[in-house]
Amino acid sequence: MSRISIKIVGAQGQGVNSVGEMCAKGLKRAGYCVFGEREYMSVIMNGHSSYQLEISNEKVRSTQEKVDVLVTFNHHGIKKDLKDIKENGILIHQTPQWKFGEEDQKFIDVNSIKVIYLPTEDILKKLNAKPVLGNVLITSVVWSLIERSSDELKEMVRERFGHKKDLLALNYLCIDEGVKFSGSGSEKVCLPEPDEKWKSQLLITGSQAMGLGAIHAGCRALFGYPMTPASPLLTFLAEIQGESKMLVKQAEDEITAVQMMVGAMHAGTRAMTATSGGGYDLMTETISLCGISETPAVIVLAQRPGPGTGLPTWTAQGDLLMAVSAGHGEFPRAVMSVSDAEDSFSLMMDAFNFSEEFQIPVTVLTEKQIAESLFTTEISDQKSVVRRGRLVEGDGLKLLRATDRYDPDAPDGVSARWLPGSDAPTYCAQSYEHNADGSFDESAENAIAQAKKRMKKMEGLKRALPEPEYFGSENTDVLIVSWGSNKNAILDLIEDESVAYLHYTYLWPLKTERLVELAAKAKKTVLVEGNVQGQLGMLIKQECGLEFNERVLKFDGRATGLSNLNLSVL
Amino acid sequence: MKDYNCKNQCTWCDGCGNYGILTAIKRALIELGLAPHQVLICFDVGCHGNMSDTLVGYRFHGLHGRVISLSAGAALANPDVPVIAFGGDGACFSEGVGHLVHAIRSNYNMTFILHNNGNYGLTTGQASSLTPRGEKMDMAPLGTVEEPLNSMDFVFSLNPSFVARGFNGNISQLTNILKSAIYHQGFSYVDVLQACPTYNKFVSHEYLLEKCYECEPMNFETARKAAVDTSEKIATGVLYQDKTRPTFLDQLEARKGIDSRLVDEVKKVDVSALLAKFS
Repeated sequence: MSRISIKIVGAQGQGVNSVGEMCAKGLKRAGYCVFGEREYMSVIMNGHSSYQLEISNEKVRSTQEKVDVLVTFNHHGIKKDLKDIKENGILIHQTPQWKFGEEDQKFIDVNSIKVIYLPTEDILKKLNAKPVLGNVLITSVVWSLIERSSDELKEMVRERFGHKKDLLALNYLCIDEGVKFSGSGSEKVCLPEPDEKWKSQLLITGSQAMGLGAIHAGCRALFGYPMTPASPLLTFLAEIQGESKMLVKQAEDEITAVQMMVGAMHAGTRAMTATSGGGYDLMTETISLCGISETPAVIVLAQRPGPGTGLPTWTAQGDLLMAVSAGHGEFPRAVMSVSDAEDSFSLMMDAFNFSEEFQIPVTVLTEKQIAESLFTTEISDQKSVVRRGRLVEGDGLKLLRATDRYDPDAPDGVSARWLPGSDAPTYCAQSYEHNADGSFDESAENAIAQAKKRMKKMEGLKRALPEPEYFGSENTDVLIVSWGSNKNAILDLIEDESVAYLHYTYLWPLKTERLVELAAKAKKTVLVEGNVQGQLGMLIKQECGLEFNERVLKFDGRATGLSNLNLSVL
Repeated sequence: MKDYNCKNQCTWCDGCGNYGILTAIKRALIELGLAPHQVLICFDVGCHGNMSDTLVGYRFHGLHGRVISLSAGAALANPDVPVIAFGGDGACFSEGVGHLVHAIRSNYNMTFILHNNGNYGLTTGQASSLTPRGEKMDMAPLGTVEEPLNSMDFVFSLNPSFVARGFNGNISQLTNILKSAIYHQGFSYVDVLQACPTYNKFVSHEYLLEKCYECEPMNFETARKAAVDTSEKIATGVLYQDKTRPTFLDQLEARKGIDSRLVDEVKKVDVSALLAKFS
């Protein structure tokens, strides 16, 4: 695959993200597939942050280790990221009279790196423009470097600032200055030929896609407490509440958030909460409550490295086993994971449907790498339908008895559910062990009957869940198995290498039939995960005894990239 | 009354204050014309929570300390079904005190009824944060060393929209208080003083009978003083009510002008216009 990487680095608050996002939007519109990855520190100002764009005319979903162009806002970026530049690559920096150290100069010479000094301060002073407009100037320089027309940039700026004439004029001036500056040099970056098909696709983060997926699925309330990397989802749904008319409530803590969600679900709407590992810890008692009271619940768990506060702004896949086993006692549940923007959208309907059909808590895993990355993607929703299982409304209410609510003889263990306010016999949703109408019952016979009723739901759920998805050609020797965001780098690898990939979206209950079949044919099986223990591998071994020939485990807070796989898998 | 009666056996001790509260809530619901299927009654965990087994109506018996948040979520989702939450002083002023603080601040439209017996009954008589200092309790056999919370001063400091205090020995007054609380638009806080003859040796039924007197609603400052000062007499009744305070839901900009309830809105939504913003 032919691809170009541009990395923008600087201190947080300097505008790294806005340059990255502006370039990404312009490139997508010009007919490129763009993938944007953010990295930053857990501070508000001055931490080192980066925005890396991968650009291709083919599908691209992950970043390379080395970049073609490095744009840095400050001298820290020159020192820290210089060695990420490829041979014949370009460095654009803005530090006046910068002298490279001996080692850096040698690296530049050996690798024939072109160094461009952009006198941003001087240019802005000349235009009498505020420092924030440096972002537009830098974008314009990058834009000229990749030989795109400045009209495309101006169009984007007009969309954003069209209502403010003076500001728009100043933006145009900055763009022109950027073009003029680049015109004076000979350095150019050659992009592959654009492809029309990307123009009609969306450029969207995992969090935004997930938020729209929830609205699409009929979710009417969000209860949350801020925590990276779930916050972008909370914030996005809050921003668009005027259009979605969704009820958005920032609760006083995660326990409140999950309890309010459960109360709203019990009343009969679709509601959700979203948090990261630490917040999920606090929610686990309530997840257990949903298990016994058979209340549908949807919890988004956006992973970052733990334990404790861990690495708040970095990525991980360390919470799978927690999601599968969180909460005391034994009860049925579903755990599923998104991998990109497309399934961040589509999986929300599944999550709500399975939670209502089986009256269980459903955890949807995402990761910082998915939540905050920009994907070029199609999102289609035509086939999805709202399924509410054995929810009884209308005429059916007349036939109900109170003992239908937790009827231990219900088929598949799924008993009728009806909503408070319905003109029907009433029941108690019980966190104590209870009999058919929700009354206390401490007898041994009842405890067995109700436990079996609840756990029986896992059988029907397992039948209903799709098998893991297979990518790649049939006759390959190497079978990679993974989940979550790793899919992106693995699929990028498949483009060029002869490997096959089995992707797990539905993680609990775990289906292993297809895996066992494929593993028997493969010469080498490789497990790829973003955690220390190989948690999916542990679940697989527990469920079917299969052990992998190799494991690629990454737990440094960084996403699995192509370089991690190239070295270890092939 | 028989509409709300339940076949299950009642398991409270003889002389427990819960009997009076159970009678008062049933009477209040009937007098308000609410049938069992028209209400949602939520219970915390504690002796009071066993009430979930002693009356009919839609009920949710949840986790210890969490009844207010659970109830608030249900109340927001379906404002047509009145939500009544019961909790004890352990659940409300220790385990889940944060929920009380923010529910009062948010002014959700729901009723919270505190079974105030000054101790943890169901776990056999430990001190709550409302137990007087020095009492010898189950986990403090040598006597507690902490000052109790002044619960009424605390509640008033949160600028509540409805505060009442009742006593399980005055069922007809308590019935009227509960009716007003359920009728109130906003968060209604009802402190019900109750005897616990098994574990509470410091406040008896007789003591409360002698001390409690009925009063009418007052302005905020007078009500706060009357509620806090229980040295001579204990003021009971609806102490304070602000009928003008908008509820949480009424104030949400995104929900203004919308008649439907969240529970009626569950359907597949076309989001193509929202998606188009990302093209």
